[in-house]
Amino acid sequence: MTTPRPRPPLTPRAVGALLVDTTPWLSCDECFERMDVHVEALLADPHHRDPAMEHHLQGCTACADEARSLLDLLRSGTI
Amino acid sequence: MTAVSRDDLPPPGSGPGTTTRPAPPGGLAGSRRAEPADWVVALSTTGPEQQHALRLLHQLMVRAAAHQVWRMRSALPDDSPASVEVIVQQAADEAMTALLAKLHTFEGRSRFTTWAFKFAILQASSDVRRLQWRRREVELRDLDLGTIPAADHDDAERSAEGADLANAVARAMATVLTPYQRRIAVALLVDEVPIDVLAERLGTNRGALYKTLHEARRRLRAELTARGYLAPTGGAR
Ligand SMILES: [Zn+2]
Repeated sequence: MTTPRPRPPLTPRAVGALLVDTTPWLSCDECFERMDVHVEALLADPHHRDPAMEHHLQGCTACADEARSLLDLLRSGTI
Repeated sequence: MTAVSRDDLPPPGSGPGTTTRPAPPGGLAGSRRAEPADWVVALSTTGPEQQHALRLLHQLMVRAAAHQVWRMRSALPDDSPASVEVIVQQAADEAMTALLAKLHTFEGRSRFTTWAFKFAILQASSDVRRLQWRRREVELRDLDLGTIPAADHDDAERSAEGADLANAVARAMATVLTPYQRRIAVALLVDEVPIDVLAERLGTNRGALYKTLHEARRRLRAELTARGYLAPTGGAR
């Protein structure tokens, strides 16, 4: 019988969030400034790439939620 | 910049998106034909055209705010139609003020409507998160450093996953982060306090907290790379 190892102080979800690579640097303000252009580019071409935006959105839950919401709003096609 | 008052705007319930039920937004068919050819000019020049543009803009803001609040309604302490309507209208009003203050920065790189929507989405999401956390304590706690197991000599030889990686990250937090960086990282990424809620409680702003978090992540990644847990180019080994 083996002694159970102590539970790690961080959940896998927290570990993943702590280790997100958020380089190159982009601030939340810059992300907001670029969000409309980025989302329209994604709608026009799903393969559109913008590494700084993508890394920021991976590392910033609030901006990511807002960008997804803007994309959904435009995608809904009712505007 | 032109200020807009509630008196200039259609009464609640009179326009699309202001229905009494918190329904997801529909179309803007009625006003679409009347959209200004140049929103910036229409909103900047005083007169009847400006009043018309302000009304249309407010409808857009209500629509985007309703879309956002609808998405997040399960987080609301009170998601009754009346409560949702108040949140939507307040967010739309505040977003419109924020937009008008930045009107001169619109460069036409996206459609004006897309540019406008993001102001309402930002305001509404921020408002809902604040309401969600209004009665919750936000604790700026440190990681419990006493519970972190010491490194096994062969830790990095193991798969850099699961408990080994979690313990290595915790040890790195204890050694390469400042107490402030650690507390911010714990609040945002372990306790999952929304960034704008934490910013408000600490009297700072989202940008400053994100910068702290970015620096903390950079230090953690450098440490874990040096210790062999992360490949130099990216993710866990
Ligand atoms: Zn952000």
